Amino acid sequence: MKFHTASADETRALAARLAPHLQAGDVVVLVGDLGSGKTTFAQGVARGLGVEGPVTSPSFTLVQQYEGRLPVAHVDVYRLDRIQELHDLGFEELVDGAGVTLVEWGDAVAQAMPNDRVVVKLEAGAEDDERSVALELLGARWHGADAEIERRLSEGSA
Amino acid sequence: MLLLAIDTATRRVGAAFASDHGVLGRVEVGGPGDSRPRHAEALVPAIEYLANECAVRLDQLSAIAVGTGPGMFTGLRVGVTTARALALALRVPLIPIASLDLLAYPLRHGRSLVVPAIDARRNEVYYAIYRPVPGGVQRESAYELGTPEDLASELEARGVDALLCGDGAVRFADAFRHLDRVEFAGTGHVAPSLSALVELAIPRFEREQFCAADEVRPIYLRQSDAEISWEGKM
Repeated sequence: MKFHTASADETRALAARLAPHLQAGDVVVLVGDLGSGKTTFAQGVARGLGVEGPVTSPSFTLVQQYEGRLPVAHVDVYRLDRIQELHDLGFEELVDGAGVTLVEWGDAVAQAMPNDRVVVKLEAGAEDDERSVALELLGARWHGADAEIERRLSEGSA
Repeated sequence: MLLLAIDTATRRVGAAFASDHGVLGRVEVGGPGDSRPRHAEALVPAIEYLANECAVRLDQLSAIAVGTGPGMFTGLRVGVTTARALALALRVPLIPIASLDLLAYPLRHGRSLVVPAIDARRNEVYYAIYRPVPGGVQRESAYELGTPEDLASELEARGVDALLCGDGAVRFADAFRHLDRVEFAGTGHVAPSLSALVELAIPRFEREQFCAADEVRPIYLRQSDAEISWEGKM
């Protein structure tokens, strides 16, 4: 499913509409070039999950954790060179916990990602703040959920 | 002597003080049903509380024993780091013992093989196979990381009675139910035993089989040599 947003606020709002569909253990992989809006999308999901206060890029901390309706772990693998470093972060335990895990650049470590995951691909559009946002729901967890989520995410974007 | 024992290889955060006569007091917080790990918040306050209740001071410690896994990374990092920091600050030796050994040791009185399995996430368990011998258990395998199905096949191939324990055995119980000769040790054997840690550490202390703080590392079995391919990276 594909969406278009005209501003960072619209990208956040779109992401926030995904939040009610997320449960403990869910993983959202954020894909896109530098500046494509991965952190913006993560901010929207976190806000949608009830996280108050600022959500900042975890590029330097590698993992940031927030408390919302569900705990949110925001991971950035950009600075990692080896899969081992992801194990060393306790990634498997983060995902196994009670919260939602957002992984920036997660496509680079696809082999370490769970089968059940939401993949969000962000691309710049013609205008500066325009983005195309492609969502893929992978694995048994999301089986049959496409139509409902597409409908919910489209609401309010018209 | 005064010993501090710490094990954080599972969601259970465990600490105990012991003398030559055995455990003086212990705190165990958390378990498999917990929503989030709380090693970082719980361990140091637990040690402080225990020291007060047992009327001991950290500067009286003779040694620190610590469970080194294999197990939960988030937990081991806190437990082993705390043990190392205290050992450095207090200038006492460390006694590292594998957490799987601590699960197996209390089950040494039966005839079955003892098979502790710690939940490794991603549908895998850390496990090892032990045989009861007079006075203890003898490990008959390496410390392994594998799926519950791998372990079930290995037990089936051995064709002898086996007693499963640990939080991995509880979580993945369904993988073992079809095996006639496998029994479950039950909820009293879900986390590595602090009593076992004390009981195994004291003789090692007396024989001076201990380590300096910087020699102790958690046992990490999840290894990957794969490099991340960064084609898209700028």
